[in-house]
Amino acid sequence: MNAPDRYERFVVPEGTKKVSYERDTKIINAASFTIEREDHTVGNILRMQLHRDPNVLFAGYKLPHPLQYKIIVRIHTTSQSSPMQAYNQAINDLDKELDHLKNAFETEMAKHSREY
Amino acid sequence: MDGGMSYQRFPKVKIREVKDDIMKFELRETDASLANALRRVMIAEVPTIAIDLVEIEVNSSVLNDEFIAHRLGLIPLTSERAMSMRFSRDCDACDGDGQCEFCSVEFHLRAKCLTDQTLDVTSKDLYSSDHTVVPVDFSDPNEPGEQRGIIIVKLRRGQELRLRAIARKGIGKDHAKWSPAATVTFMYEPMIRINEDLMESMSLEDKRSWIESSPTKVFEMDPITQQLKWHLKLEVQVVGSRLTGEEGREDASYWLSLFRDVPMLPVKVVAEPESYTYDDEVIKKAEAMGKSGLVEIEAKEDSFIFTVESTGAIKATQLVLNAIEVLKQKLDAVRLSDDTVEADDQFGELGAHMRGG
Ligand SMILES: [Zn+2]
Repeated sequence: MNAPDRYERFVVPEGTKKVSYERDTKIINAASFTIEREDHTVGNILRMQLHRDPNVLFAGYKLPHPLQYKIIVRIHTTSQSSPMQAYNQAINDLDKELDHLKNAFETEMAKHSREY
Repeated sequence: MDGGMSYQRFPKVKIREVKDDIMKFELRETDASLANALRRVMIAEVPTIAIDLVEIEVNSSVLNDEFIAHRLGLIPLTSERAMSMRFSRDCDACDGDGQCEFCSVEFHLRAKCLTDQTLDVTSKDLYSSDHTVVPVDFSDPNEPGEQRGIIIVKLRRGQELRLRAIARKGIGKDHAKWSPAATVTFMYEPMIRINEDLMESMSLEDKRSWIESSPTKVFEMDPITQQLKWHLKLEVQVVGSRLTGEEGREDASYWLSLFRDVPMLPVKVVAEPESYTYDDEVIKKAEAMGKSGLVEIEAKEDSFIFTVESTGAIKATQLVLNAIEVLKQKLDAVRLSDDTVEADDQFGELGAHMRGG
């Protein structure tokens, strides 16, 4: 009866930003990114990629509530970097990793179809 | 701002087997978060086409209208087109009506039973307006005459079903009928080490009962002195050296040649490491036998074995490639917008100002 519409899970409502950024008021080089209509799929790969960055002191994500269709990614970096820089870097690296994966997969497919 | 630093990984892929709707492959040199993201996207976010709207003209069957509409929705339709098609909600050609050629495919079904023989109404009775989007054909190419459509309803004499259906693009997150995945799973590749000295200290009887303690067939007795029987993949551990076999090698003399210069004899072979279910039974058994440390088993944290099975809507290989593409699009969507960055730059200057900078 009062269940939210199914599309609410993946359609960003009009007038809402996909990603919003909020600096921490007390800690320098710490910030939270609120990502609308995303879940563990994006949250977890971002977090793990951020952990590969030695300038990242803390990176974590949470899904505040299963019926609030958003995640919050929190990043704290050293003064050598910034949360925004680390965030962009993580996305770029994941994007390049996926490009590499796509090529590797296609190469394997071609090899496989030639062999069999 | 970009320091030119990169912490990118370069994953490796090895395909083990491919058929149209099922495939197995190894993914290495990445981590569980990416393996899991790919699995989740394959199940819930790779788009397909499925029936979404049904207008019933006549239905005198035993099933009610919504029951039939639900069954129609679950029929997999060939969806190679889906990636380039529009979602009805984003379609500007039909003002959200969701019935134009860019965002929908129309189907018609007419069936009436005129004999005393029960009539099966199947997915083969659905007529599509687009020859690229049709119900998946499960018929066996070896048995051409056989009818293998998906049964929608059965009609007796005098009963009739007549309807118009609209199929649309969608994702599994919206409704499972749009999921192209029958199953997508991955497992960690196990790394099995056997302490040869301890193994040699055991009697043949003890070795047998230890092998038997595993609920799945992971270990096998000495193949050198007995008949050789090789499985898909095997790792042979000999005192300090390690030999890893390739798939498909069933040639016993090839294997024996590998052992020629190795100081060995009775060697324990891990027959099928991947049948290990991380149940710890062999480890407990070794302890119970007073042979702790006989075997060490660890899950390699950067190696995964994927099994992908599709519903037939798209090929299994295409499902993986589409998942990579969709994940890339998702990442692209979460990039910071320019106005967010600008707003923060101003905030930063203001902050520096206030701090007396
Ligand atoms: Zn349209």
